[in-house]
Amino acid sequence: MWLLHWLPNWIFYAVLIAGVVGLVISYFVRFLSFIPFVYVYKTPIQLVSIIAIAIGTFMSGAIHDNDAWEARVKEMQDKVAAAEVQSKEENVKIVEKVVTKTQVIKTRGEDIVKYVDREVVKYDTKFAPGGECEIPKEFIKALNDAAEAPK
Amino acid sequence: MKYIALLLMVGCSTTVPVTMKFPEAPGNLVMMPCPQLQKVEEDAKLSDVAKTITNNYGTYYECAVKNDAWIEWYEKQKLIFEGIK
Repeated sequence: MWLLHWLPNWIFYAVLIAGVVGLVISYFVRFLSFIPFVYVYKTPIQLVSIIAIAIGTFMSGAIHDNDAWEARVKEMQDKVAAAEVQSKEENVKIVEKVVTKTQVIKTRGEDIVKYVDREVVKYDTKFAPGGECEIPKEFIKALNDAAEAPK
Repeated sequence: MKYIALLLMVGCSTTVPVTMKFPEAPGNLVMMPCPQLQKVEEDAKLSDVAKTITNNYGTYYECAVKNDAWIEWYEKQKLIFEGIK
């Protein structure tokens, strides 16, 4: 509440107390008849006191509510900060896992290519175009069609 | 009177003081799109066919790792986000 940022809290408590004191005094005004000022302004004092009590009560509630919200905001800020740290930690774990698995896949691929270069090349002449067991064009076409990305 | 009502309403208005940043992606590696699969030349040798298939399997598994990473990222971030409330 913007008013609470402008004025210190004690002012509103003071208004409340002043209102209560003013109202009490106005009820005991008959005993204070020796003070003419109080007696003459009894009704205005009561009116002002009631307004002061209303404002003081309202603002006391607002202060309490504001404090509760500020505590809640602080709690949420702490939770968000902790969540951001946790999020980063989880990201680090995920990245480590991705890097490790990708490295394993690359290494495995390289090993298999080495194996192909060592063992499968022996059959290259046998499966060469015009050779004993030529690879059919349909086979190549099927492989390439499967490798084609969907449009 | 309407000014007093307006004043009271303004007194209750507030901005949102707590905001959470959108969680960051798990590194640049997973941000790269999956590459195209390799194709075999028409006059390819058997070993070339075997290598192309091997490379394509590798590409698939690398892409699968990225996909799994995003799924894990989403589940973890969801848990963290729900933990705040």
